[in-house]
Amino acid sequence: MSTELKQKKQTVSQWVKSGDPWVWLNAGAVAISVIMVLGLLALIAVRGLGHFWPADINQGTYSLPSSQPYTLIAERVESTEVPAAQLREAGIDVADHHDLMMRSLMKTGNRDVYGSDFRWIIDEYFTDVTKPEMLFAAERHEWGNLYGYLQAVKEDGQVVASTTDLTPTESALATWATFERSIERATTIYDDIHEVEKDEIGAINHTLERLRLEQRRLELNDKLTPAKQADIDAQRAAEDAKYQALQQRLIDLYAEINRDTFVVQVMDGSVHELQVAKVVRAYRPNSMGIAQKMSFYGSKVWEFLSAEPREANTEGGVFPAIFGTVMMVLLMTVLVTPFGVVAAVYLREYASQGFVTRTIRIAVNNLAGVPSIVYGVFGLGFFIYFLGSGIDQAFFPEALPSPTFGTGGLMWASITLALLTVPVVIVATEEGLSRIPRNVREGSLALGATKAETLWRVVLPMASPAIMTGVILAVARAAGEVAPLMLVGVVKLAPSLPLDGNYPYLHLDQKFMHLGFHIYDVGFQSPNVEAARPLVYATALLLVIVIATLNLAAVTIRNHLREKYKSLEM
Amino acid sequence: MSETSTHSIDISAMQRSHQALRIEDENVCLSVKDLHLYYGEKEALKGIDMIIPEKKVTAFIGPSGCGKSTLLRCFNRMNDLVDGCRITGEINLHDNNIYAKGTDVAELRRRVGMVFQKPNPFPKSIYENVAYGLRIQGINKKRVIDETVEWALRSAALWDEVKDRLHESALGMSGGQQQRLVIARTVAVKPEVLLLDEPASALDPISTLKIEELIHELKNEFTIAIVTHNMQQAARVSDYTAFMYMGDMVEFGDTNSLFTNPSKQQTEDYITGRYG
Repeated sequence: MSTELKQKKQTVSQWVKSGDPWVWLNAGAVAISVIMVLGLLALIAVRGLGHFWPADINQGTYSLPSSQPYTLIAERVESTEVPAAQLREAGIDVADHHDLMMRSLMKTGNRDVYGSDFRWIIDEYFTDVTKPEMLFAAERHEWGNLYGYLQAVKEDGQVVASTTDLTPTESALATWATFERSIERATTIYDDIHEVEKDEIGAINHTLERLRLEQRRLELNDKLTPAKQADIDAQRAAEDAKYQALQQRLIDLYAEINRDTFVVQVMDGSVHELQVAKVVRAYRPNSMGIAQKMSFYGSKVWEFLSAEPREANTEGGVFPAIFGTVMMVLLMTVLVTPFGVVAAVYLREYASQGFVTRTIRIAVNNLAGVPSIVYGVFGLGFFIYFLGSGIDQAFFPEALPSPTFGTGGLMWASITLALLTVPVVIVATEEGLSRIPRNVREGSLALGATKAETLWRVVLPMASPAIMTGVILAVARAAGEVAPLMLVGVVKLAPSLPLDGNYPYLHLDQKFMHLGFHIYDVGFQSPNVEAARPLVYATALLLVIVIATLNLAAVTIRNHLREKYKSLEM
Repeated sequence: MSETSTHSIDISAMQRSHQALRIEDENVCLSVKDLHLYYGEKEALKGIDMIIPEKKVTAFIGPSGCGKSTLLRCFNRMNDLVDGCRITGEINLHDNNIYAKGTDVAELRRRVGMVFQKPNPFPKSIYENVAYGLRIQGINKKRVIDETVEWALRSAALWDEVKDRLHESALGMSGGQQQRLVIARTVAVKPEVLLLDEPASALDPISTLKIEELIHELKNEFTIAIVTHNMQQAARVSDYTAFMYMGDMVEFGDTNSLFTNPSKQQTEDYITGRYG
């Protein structure tokens, strides 16, 4: 006798009825969403973050069939497999037994010498590959990276250290050490020059501009008395004197910085003498241990986060873009929150709930669906051309014809985005207000509070988590917007931050940089696409992180408020 | 129904009773004259005439929907908040018609406080809940507020339970404590009248008992009007009782006579549980 339970055979229709397929479908949809998001983040993280790792420099002989072999010194950027037939069509004489071949993009640097930074090679023909320790890479302020062997370092044209060795002999290492010291010195002077040019001369220029505007204003008002003119002239003379002094200091500094040169032998064997001042940093990746590489990586990432861009945004950092993005989002939040809340309070609490209110509510909800570029056009047409030029004529006539607020700027961008996101805040706030229990309002009214006092002291605090939800959604949307910003104030390269030490400190009329636009600019408007591509990913990752951070901050505030006004279970 | 509808206080019925309490001996706190209330087309109160005696407990009983809560909410004009609500007639608080034009409703509600069926503390600390009414009045002196908060919490028999956690959230209290907190909050602004709208109906028996004891204490200082579904409660706590039915004041008199010797058949039917 078998004691086993009889297995009931399940038919497909029973299985469908059991609801299991729905569970699988739902779980599958969630899984796919999670995988897509993680995949996206992983892709931009890997591509973007890999860029900062000091890759080894390969040296080898590249000998394509039927062409002259030559020495190649380069970093490997990426490799793909291509069909041999495709290569044959491209005119490369590939042996018949190959079907697929590895093709690699190599960064050779030295754009000033070869005309381009990158070249594609077929791995098969790149032979005798070594990674010599003395090969070095130098990042420069111009012309991208330099790869080669250091031969000598000169001060004022006099050789102070030199070597002919390509291996880490004593003389080679000593020359390298001299080179590093020289770079360090040049970097210090470079920072000084930057400080003088940017901060001190910048401040003088700011003052001079202010004086010019003051004089112009007095002229326009017919109040320019000789005394005032003399006063302005005196101030101007003082600034000019300061400027002359700084100018002299700059000349000295430039003489200092240009003292040192170095001699380098590049891959085609030619020898070049270059100025140390042009070098940002030099390193020998092939001789670096993992710890050194990590610390180098850290400093590169830090540079990316904290420095200004160089070389048409393809090198250096993105700090102004981060700053601009955060600044704009914060300003937008400051504008949109009170405006949205006040509008929602009126719609929900004061307006009689009739046809008009319903129509307005529908219109507000639909505003959220208007494409963002339309807001950009509106911002340009109404805010900038109409309001902005009106403001200029009323308050800044002395600066005309150059516009102050009559052109794109931080304020108009923030207002445009505030307009774009205000429906979200209104809807969320209304939702929150409608959820406040009636008996809590009555409790307050019964104590002799007026409706406004009740709103202000009880209802709005209780609705604050909902308001924050609206703000979170608004921030998420605004921080990622690019299209309208291109019309109302974002630029490829802003000469200065919108917040600095010159009165009035926060320059709402200034144009600014934005991470989203930076991605577009670096990716599509850059003269050096290959060099820029990793930066596109890195910037995209950064944008995601910045938005996530802003959101996280808002979510933290909301959770705090939620905890405080835990919903009353009544 | 119509034959038993009474539109005026049946004074003669009271004179017949041999109770110590006589409505004509009382000081009048609130008097209601020919009060009609309409929700849109529907007439919810059909001409009420009565008085609420000072420093006594007046209970309103009657089946659901009879208009007793609506009447109570007329005393501090809470019905103003209801869309489509229209009122005719007069309610006088010490000879001032509260429905007269230009009445300061906020001031009225300060003088006529109200406690609702469900506890509705604000999501603030216990202290701030009680201080709320004072702050609304612009009182900000810490010493004054401290004293009033303590006095109000003691009046609501809550002080000993919460004195060590005054600054914790009021939402962490039990339902009964919350309701006493709401009473303390109402008492803190020192109103003349306390309106209690089924104050114990959402509470357990122990909490209900505490609230009832509290009402006994509070009537020394306040005029109290209470709406209740619970006739034993009305009999226990009140001095006078009004029985309402379908928007009419059927019978109003001192509690003992009304429960032991009702003058109207309808009242008797209701209190003996034959309908309602």
